[in-house]
Amino acid sequence: MIEFTSVWGAFALLGSDLNAWLYLLPGLVIGLVFGAMPGISITMAMAFALPATLYMDFLPAIIFLTAIYTGAGFGGSVPAVLMGIPGTSSAVATTFDGYPMARKGQHNQALGIALASSVIGCLMSYLLLLFLIAPVSNVVLRLGPLEMFAVAVWGMLLLGSLAGSHLSRGLLAGVFGVLLGTVGMNTAGFTRGTMGIPWLLDGIPQIPAMMGLLAASQLIGLINTNYLITDESSRKISFSKIVGGVRMALSYPTIIFRGSLIGVIIGAIPGVGSSISNLLSYSETKRNAPDGDTFGQGNPKGVIAAESANSSSEGGAMATMLALGIPGGGATAILLAAFAMHNIVGGPSFIANNKDIVYALIFSNFAQAILLLFVGLGFVYVASYVVRVPLRFLIPSVLVVATFGAYAIEGSAAGPITLWVFSVLGWAMVRYSYPVAAAVVGLLLGGLLEGNLLRTNQISGGDFIGYGLERPWALLIFALMLGSLMLQTLSKRRRRKQTEREAQANAASEAS
Amino acid sequence: MHSKVSRRNVLKATAGGVAMAALGMPSILRAQDGFPNRPINVIVPFDTGGYNDRLARAFAPFLQEALGQPLTIINRGGAGALLGHTFFLQQPDDGYTILCTSAAPYLPLNILTQDASFALEDFYMVNLPSQDYTLLATSSGSDIQTIDDVIARLKEDPGSLSVGLQPASADLVNFSILCEANDIDMEAVRIVTYDGGGPARNAVAGGVVDIGLVGGEGFLPLAEQIRPLLTFDVRQRDGWEGALVNEVLGEDPDFVVGSQRGWGLHASMQESNPEVFSTLVEAIETASKNPAAIEALKNQQLATDWYGPEESNQMLARTATVMEQYIDLLQGT
Repeated sequence: MIEFTSVWGAFALLGSDLNAWLYLLPGLVIGLVFGAMPGISITMAMAFALPATLYMDFLPAIIFLTAIYTGAGFGGSVPAVLMGIPGTSSAVATTFDGYPMARKGQHNQALGIALASSVIGCLMSYLLLLFLIAPVSNVVLRLGPLEMFAVAVWGMLLLGSLAGSHLSRGLLAGVFGVLLGTVGMNTAGFTRGTMGIPWLLDGIPQIPAMMGLLAASQLIGLINTNYLITDESSRKISFSKIVGGVRMALSYPTIIFRGSLIGVIIGAIPGVGSSISNLLSYSETKRNAPDGDTFGQGNPKGVIAAESANSSSEGGAMATMLALGIPGGGATAILLAAFAMHNIVGGPSFIANNKDIVYALIFSNFAQAILLLFVGLGFVYVASYVVRVPLRFLIPSVLVVATFGAYAIEGSAAGPITLWVFSVLGWAMVRYSYPVAAAVVGLLLGGLLEGNLLRTNQISGGDFIGYGLERPWALLIFALMLGSLMLQTLSKRRRRKQTEREAQANAASEAS
Repeated sequence: MHSKVSRRNVLKATAGGVAMAALGMPSILRAQDGFPNRPINVIVPFDTGGYNDRLARAFAPFLQEALGQPLTIINRGGAGALLGHTFFLQQPDDGYTILCTSAAPYLPLNILTQDASFALEDFYMVNLPSQDYTLLATSSGSDIQTIDDVIARLKEDPGSLSVGLQPASADLVNFSILCEANDIDMEAVRIVTYDGGGPARNAVAGGVVDIGLVGGEGFLPLAEQIRPLLTFDVRQRDGWEGALVNEVLGEDPDFVVGSQRGWGLHASMQESNPEVFSTLVEAIETASKNPAAIEALKNQQLATDWYGPEESNQMLARTATVMEQYIDLLQGT
């Protein structure tokens, strides 16, 4: 729980050091710009800034890095909405509804919604962190392979909603994605499907493959179109519509709350993080929404669900890092490296002895989230001019930037080659109406599913049920999942009955 | 008062600057007429943030000072360092590319299990300051108190404990040695494989697996959540309690050391560019013995001990020989 002496200590720390505030703005801007460039990940943006922090004091250094973290977390959503390219793997679900919204001419609203959901998600995650840091850290390490497998299965439920008109094709694409996700050396040391290519030993490079499947394939399909938005009058850049989007996001507090909760919990689990949380939140929201059928065609709720979950994963990952001193992903690993550069070792003793610093970090992140709202408004206003660029200029430039990004993230030709191979694959899948997004979800979850199923088998000695009964958290996750599925069927049936009844009533009134 | 202090500081800084310049001058002069006259690349065959990356980045300023040229760190992670090692050997042996890697176990593993295109003799280790070791540990809340408990339970029923470790690792070899010495059927033990040391350690600390065998240095941040049971070394390391390997396996025990990390060069350089070669070896020695370097690295829990090329290469060769004996185990067959 909160200790008030430390809280005052935190305010004193933040109040006495102007440097702690000076780096907020540059950090956010660096994060936004890098995050918005396809292929530049949050981790890369932070690694790029890491050497500069060596010359700062500890608190300003960490605040600077977390500002980049926050900025880049939202930056990735901008290309996801405007061009259907997830700048990072955590913005995959944002493309599902954000991009269709942009193509319908609602790019202003979509960006406003994404911004507001990110800001609130980030705020909520740090608020939860303030209260939950101790209990979360107690649970996180106890999560074993079965629990992780349950989370991965939950993510796979999304396949059903992505399938579109042909369920069988959706499942086929999903299974194909899972198979692609298991390429390389598995957790027991066996190598599959690498065709003798050494760089496939670590699996298919995820981000280039994802960019190829989702974006390049879409762009190739747009070649005969002149503009991203066909209707000329909709191509306006309107500040008031962006603000309207912000307000629209505020009218769905339940979706934001659910997204933030999923984001914090999933973000806190080492090795899972924001690339899974946005998918889970999207799928849960879609399943519980009365207008679930319109998801994927530009439903603002989809954007809210995805964005509130991916930005709130930051708080979860920070909880694990601060409480246990272990990195949940690349970004927190960089933060721990910055800790080490200042001769500070994270972990339980750090929290116990430096509560004021921990609270100062949390409060500074509140300020970051609020500042992000204003910086972000300016940023998306400028960025949305993309819709006015004729596609004959936009498509080649985006493909070139994506190629550079793919090179940057892999550091070798493996990135661009993966991008191109998957662009062709993605185009072919769209051409024969297989849902590309299902393959992406499979690719992201494949390794997680396989590795943890294998470990569950190893740890239980083959006795899955006996072992499962000893794992209360796994049972809880499975129960929640089943509950959510049952609720969906019930509410669907109720809605169908209601429409039938209304139709009967209408018919009756017409007859009389 | 303020102005006085700051003036003194300015003077101090100036004096420091002059001293720095005086120190720096000879190396700059030397740089102009021979090796090195341009920046040198350091290949780290792992991603940013790991031990080798941290070691390379922390050591670079001191090596830079000794060489008189800036160093550029290049991370070439992937495929258990195979990609980075291959890339390093593909670069010309002119001394402008050097290597910072976990020579053991990754070089022998690349060669024994991954069909690498190189041999151990292609690498020349100048110094391997970091000598990691396998630590067998359990969660601090576990009812297992000592290594004798572990052995007794596994002897009675090999399937009674789950064991977390990485496949194809020194830790796996050490576990098999422990099993062999105590007549434990390793096939029947529930071995749980993890993709990296981090996840395996988390599983130990959280009690997800009953015991785990992982590199001991990485356990330090989790010290409060684990109970160390057995250190695979003949001397106490990092203050861990619990047994030492010779107390369990007898005098002069057979075991594999963990990661041996440090600095490497192209072995071919000894013939092709002997002068460049000795310049680099000397520079690494100077930097390793620099008191400022030792203090800076110690603060970041990184090693700087100077073993020298002869001992480093011998240690690596010894590890490779032991690992070769366990090739079937490492290949996972």
